[in-house]
Amino acid sequence: MRRVTAEDDARAAVAAAWKLEAAKVVASVARMVHDVGLAEELAQDALVAALEQWPADGVPANPGAWLTTTARRRAVDHIRRAQRLERKREQLAHRCPGEPEADGDDAGHDSHDVLRLMFVSCHPLLRTEARVALTLRLLGGLTDEEIARAFLVGRTVIARRVADAKRTLAEAGVGFAMPPRTELAERLSSVLEVVYLIFNEGYAATSGDDLMRPGLCLEALRLGRLLAGLAPDEAEVHGLVALMELQSSRSAARTGPSGEPVPLHEQNRGRWDQLLIRRGFAAMLRAREAGGPPGPYLLQAAIAVCHAQARTAEETDWRRIATLYGTLERLLPTPVVRLNRAVAVGMADGPAAGLALTAPLAEDPALRDYHLLPCVRADLLHRLGRYEEARREFLRAASLTANAAEEAFLRGRAAAATTAARPAGMPTLGEAVRAFLERDGMDPGTARSYGQTLRRLCRSLGDELPLAALTSADVARVFALAWDGAAARTWNRHRSALRSFAAWASVGHVAEGIGRRAAGRERARPLDEAEFTALAGRPDVALRERTLWWLLRESGAPVSTVLALDVTDLDVRARRARTRGGEGWLTWGAGTAEWLPGLLAGRRRGPVFLAERRPGPGRPPAPGDLCPETGRGRLSYERAEYLFKQATAGHTLRRLRVGPRPPSRPSTS
Amino acid sequence: MRYLMTTKESVGAAAPDEKLMAEMAAFVEELTSAGVLLATGGLMPGGPRVASRGDDITVTDGPFTEAKEAVVGFALVECRSKEEAIEVARRFRRIAGDGESLIQEVFDGCGG
Repeated sequence: MRRVTAEDDARAAVAAAWKLEAAKVVASVARMVHDVGLAEELAQDALVAALEQWPADGVPANPGAWLTTTARRRAVDHIRRAQRLERKREQLAHRCPGEPEADGDDAGHDSHDVLRLMFVSCHPLLRTEARVALTLRLLGGLTDEEIARAFLVGRTVIARRVADAKRTLAEAGVGFAMPPRTELAERLSSVLEVVYLIFNEGYAATSGDDLMRPGLCLEALRLGRLLAGLAPDEAEVHGLVALMELQSSRSAARTGPSGEPVPLHEQNRGRWDQLLIRRGFAAMLRAREAGGPPGPYLLQAAIAVCHAQARTAEETDWRRIATLYGTLERLLPTPVVRLNRAVAVGMADGPAAGLALTAPLAEDPALRDYHLLPCVRADLLHRLGRYEEARREFLRAASLTANAAEEAFLRGRAAAATTAARPAGMPTLGEAVRAFLERDGMDPGTARSYGQTLRRLCRSLGDELPLAALTSADVARVFALAWDGAAARTWNRHRSALRSFAAWASVGHVAEGIGRRAAGRERARPLDEAEFTALAGRPDVALRERTLWWLLRESGAPVSTVLALDVTDLDVRARRARTRGGEGWLTWGAGTAEWLPGLLAGRRRGPVFLAERRPGPGRPPAPGDLCPETGRGRLSYERAEYLFKQATAGHTLRRLRVGPRPPSRPSTS
Repeated sequence: MRYLMTTKESVGAAAPDEKLMAEMAAFVEELTSAGVLLATGGLMPGGPRVASRGDDITVTDGPFTEAKEAVVGFALVECRSKEEAIEVARRFRRIAGDGESLIQEVFDGCGG
């Protein structure tokens, strides 16, 4: 038997104690210094001190309390130093809590502090990856190295993300306050989103060779369980925990001996973890006790419950699952939810019904490269006996997934679906494209440009599609999906690439459906009334974007003109504004009028549309582009365009303008 | 990773007093809500023993003489590493007083 040496022992104890206590230590210091980034650094100082002292002096009786006390002492030193330096003794006095008190004096604060820490590390100001990294570091006590390993990126990437996040929080003066009651729901959902994202990154590893990275699942489960203890009245928190417990319960069963995925209905249910299932059910009960209408996490957990309750795949209550997905789709009409509903309906009402639901999804640009769509379709086609189509969809799915184990599995299914052998000597689309691009006399620039067009064709239709089976309708569909919103020049470039390829491969007819677009038709088709109303009415659209979009829509004015408006240009009651330079007026209607006062929120000067945050020291904007009341700069065209593209899967803001409506002359003045 | 922590009774250990019980309850509560402790319980001393040899199954009723070897409690914990499991056990022992706990990793990478 090997006995661990005292020193090894102490080092291991430091690392383990740190992971278990990090959240509490950081939170407790953050309450003193009101800056989460600084709090973490002070807490890290305590960790360093522990690494120095424990191996020599032995592990203290209560390692967590030792770390907290030491970190708080460092915080007091820091505050004193800051006071001396800045000579702001009076102003800071109320912030200084004095000496750290004896251990355990503030157990009551502990849980609130940790909850606040979660809110800050998942702050909507931060980009998603930054929230994830910061949360794992602050709440999970993970090192940059450990986070980097879990996400398969370099350590410096994570270090930078964390540093940027801390700076962003400090610059925005986020501090360490609980979010105001009005923002609580939104902020909580940001926390839930981060936790579930961490879980999913572990559960459905989107890249790499392993199908799962269990470490991340465990971190997410811990964060979820912790959150459930801190916010016990929130049904969605328990819903998320239930969902994660139930999904985890299947983790041992969902990969086969060589790492390949095992679909739910083929899993050995004896390998499902009953302990986690029971925990999931218990979390469900707590969610029900918390009350309120079921939210998206609770509904997804309810679906997981249906699976967990079925002793065999055949006993699954697909009818109920399809109904739950229907409810979920009304709350969360994402393409992925709609796809899952199609699967459930395919089980409840037969493959034809499921397949019909996937048809509109194939037209959705958001799912263009999502491998599960062809995967689901392939499965349904296979059950309908349409093997050749199934085979092609399996291959398409295989070419779209970034996960090696999954790709191998899908290729296997495609091979199994091959019934009729392809006639000898007939090339596939992929083969023909490769031969075309690699042929002699093709210059590299042209090959690159043509390659863009033709690879899109291959990705959308499948490399394995026999060239002879390619139809002009297939091609037209890909073109419409990929480039309908593009400029005429872009469209025509793709068109000539296609024509050149089709002529070379002697399948000229497939290019016939693609017409040339007049170069004058630069402006894309404006959104129609229904599209616009749906877009502007979406609950996830922020007030600023909503107001901007309405104003662009109703005024018909150019984007740059609208963004250049200052509050002093507006005549809110008359629903009009003087445009920059004073050469005319733009007017708006009821839609803009509904949101504009909320956006202005009493501001009397500065730009109407403001950036989310204050400008960094590196790029001071012109004084006219700075709001004297909030210190924030004018919203840039690039940012506005970016947000619109995010919201609409790639449309440009110009598509909001209904028609040319030049600024009108004032009728009276 | 999951670990099963089993605790053996120590000879001559003082019976648990109220303070110990309260501390232990707080400890269990804390670890449970942190998601570390999955299941725990104390065990009655003795109990029937079932042994098999070839086709023979023998059932013997306790109690047994070697009571000091008997397991009196268990905890199933989910930890990131063996070190973390040791840290948990260390805290447990600090509350429980004299005695000995054994930490064994549970096979199979399930549960996370």
